[in-house]
Amino acid sequence: MPDIEIRNLTKVYEESGNEIVAVDDVDLTIKDGEFVTLVGPSGCGKTTTLRCVAGLNKPTSGTITFGDREVTDKPVQERNIALLFQDIALYPHMSVQENMAYGLKITGFSREERIARVEEAAELLQITDQLEKMPADLSGGQQQRVALGRSLVRDPEIFLFDEPMSDLDAKLKAELRPVIEKVTDEIGCPTLYVTHDQEEAMTMSDRVAVINDGELAQVAPPKEVYDEPNSQFVSQFIGQPSTQFFDGKVGAVNGTAELDVGGYEYDLARDGLEGWAGEDIRVGLRPQYIRVSEDSEAGIPATHLLDEPLGDATHSFFDTEFGEIVVVTDPDFVGDGKEYGLVFDDEYIQLFDTDSGVRIA
Amino acid sequence: MSQSEPPGGVFGLSYDGETRVSEALKLVSTAIIVLVGAWPIYWMTQLAFTQYETVESAVTVFPTPDIFTFDNFNVLTDPEMYTYMFNTVVVAIGTIVTVVLVSLIAGYGLARLEFPQKENFARILLIGYLFSPIVIGIPLYQIWQNIGLLGTRFGLIIALSAISMPFAVWLMWKYIMTIPEAHEEAAWVDGASRWRGFRDVVVPQCRPAIIAAALFAFALAWNDFTFAQILLPQTETTTFAPGILRAMGQAQFLPDAYLMAISLAMTLPPLLFAYFMQSYLLKGFQVRAL
Repeated sequence: MPDIEIRNLTKVYEESGNEIVAVDDVDLTIKDGEFVTLVGPSGCGKTTTLRCVAGLNKPTSGTITFGDREVTDKPVQERNIALLFQDIALYPHMSVQENMAYGLKITGFSREERIARVEEAAELLQITDQLEKMPADLSGGQQQRVALGRSLVRDPEIFLFDEPMSDLDAKLKAELRPVIEKVTDEIGCPTLYVTHDQEEAMTMSDRVAVINDGELAQVAPPKEVYDEPNSQFVSQFIGQPSTQFFDGKVGAVNGTAELDVGGYEYDLARDGLEGWAGEDIRVGLRPQYIRVSEDSEAGIPATHLLDEPLGDATHSFFDTEFGEIVVVTDPDFVGDGKEYGLVFDDEYIQLFDTDSGVRIA
Repeated sequence: MSQSEPPGGVFGLSYDGETRVSEALKLVSTAIIVLVGAWPIYWMTQLAFTQYETVESAVTVFPTPDIFTFDNFNVLTDPEMYTYMFNTVVVAIGTIVTVVLVSLIAGYGLARLEFPQKENFARILLIGYLFSPIVIGIPLYQIWQNIGLLGTRFGLIIALSAISMPFAVWLMWKYIMTIPEAHEEAAWVDGASRWRGFRDVVVPQCRPAIIAAALFAFALAWNDFTFAQILLPQTETTTFAPGILRAMGQAQFLPDAYLMAISLAMTLPPLLFAYFMQSYLLKGFQVRAL
């Protein structure tokens, strides 16, 4: 099975005279057997990238290579890919069995072979008892299983997913995620999974590619994208609740760096701030690393607004001089609208360039 | 006015009274529609089963056993009538097949392919309906005469298809647009060519629209008088509608009861067709923004 290599992929749409750059010079390699998730906000070009890889859209420039086979100008039929669609796209007039066997029928497999392969896939996906039904009689989760099966039987070279679970409820998503991982493992081919749901991205991927405005922002393993975002965008996009941002100023840099956030001083044991003395800087901190102190004198004075208890943790909202701040608190925390002090765990403070949003330290 | 009082209706009656009146009016209007629609069919049917001598001499409202007969239908075995009916069937089937095939492909093109002035093209299609058949019929007569289609069933099929086409293409266009493109894309991913995807995935899903278009084309072809009269001047190729008019003018012996028998025979197919296909028909016509 080949690697997917995307080189300088650019896609420009023309809409009523205006040029819209949907994908801007994207470079991405997906190794054989690797699961890469392309994640980003809506309209960031992630689906366009996937459709170019699939061969459903033609790139304006750049190349796409599967192993040593360049497929940039090959139509989708000749790419031997599997693609799961957002709206599932089962053929509504065919039974589950016929849906799954359709690709094999086109390739010219015998009837016996088709049935054997479909049954094997159905077993893996636990839909053996659904084979005679019509797609309309299945639940959303079962439909997506059938769609997986349709891809599985064809033994594709490349597996692509275009937000396949965005219409399913949270519980079904959690149920289907392991199924998808099982299927992609079974086939063992490179997988490109497009989603706007960072939870899917974090849980399933070997690597996460965060895309914004048509450009790749960061490509790294999920943990790294979360812990070490390379830009303000990635830091804010990945993680729930979002990273909280403040305006700060770097003071004297001498071994440690002094950081001033609205009059509150922090000493950061951090490299990379040489030359930033006296400069304005963007300060980011994940809500997990803000501590709530009963003592309103400690840290930033804050008035409690409301709690969102989630069971295993609580998201608490505070009104401060910096505006509203979200903090992840203890599951038993009840704020009661009282006054608190917010203490930053300065070890986890992320610093970004105010203009470009690039991570500094 | 108390809170429980319903707001005053059309007739200013109580709530219950209002409901009763509107139920009664619904019944009356249904009765009127049924009467207007069904009476001619009933009249034709009952006359077709009454002995022709009785029909000629008296007004009867029901074929009681003493005047009841099947003999009127023997007229259908008359070679001339048989020819007319055969021609009508051939023309109707030919028109349906042409209309369905062409409108499917044209509708697919409009729905899925991009080309300049697409919207305007589709709008211009409908302009065809601004002309009455007789206006188109005379130029068609000359053109058909020049290219040798005059007096052929094939010529009439083309003319009738052209008349049905704007509606059928419009219907297919809008209907195919309701089928998600992802269905076809899934077929391409499975390895199907564009044509194969169209055949295997789009066409089967168009069944309601195909039936609606077929029914429309059938009704037009079956009932057509003007085009058949103009384009099929010879008796041996003409269809039922102009044929029966000619027969009425020429035949020495053609009593009303026979005419009714022929009419009934020719009315039944569209009635049955419409009746059994109505669920599809409704689905076909339900496309939004048609």
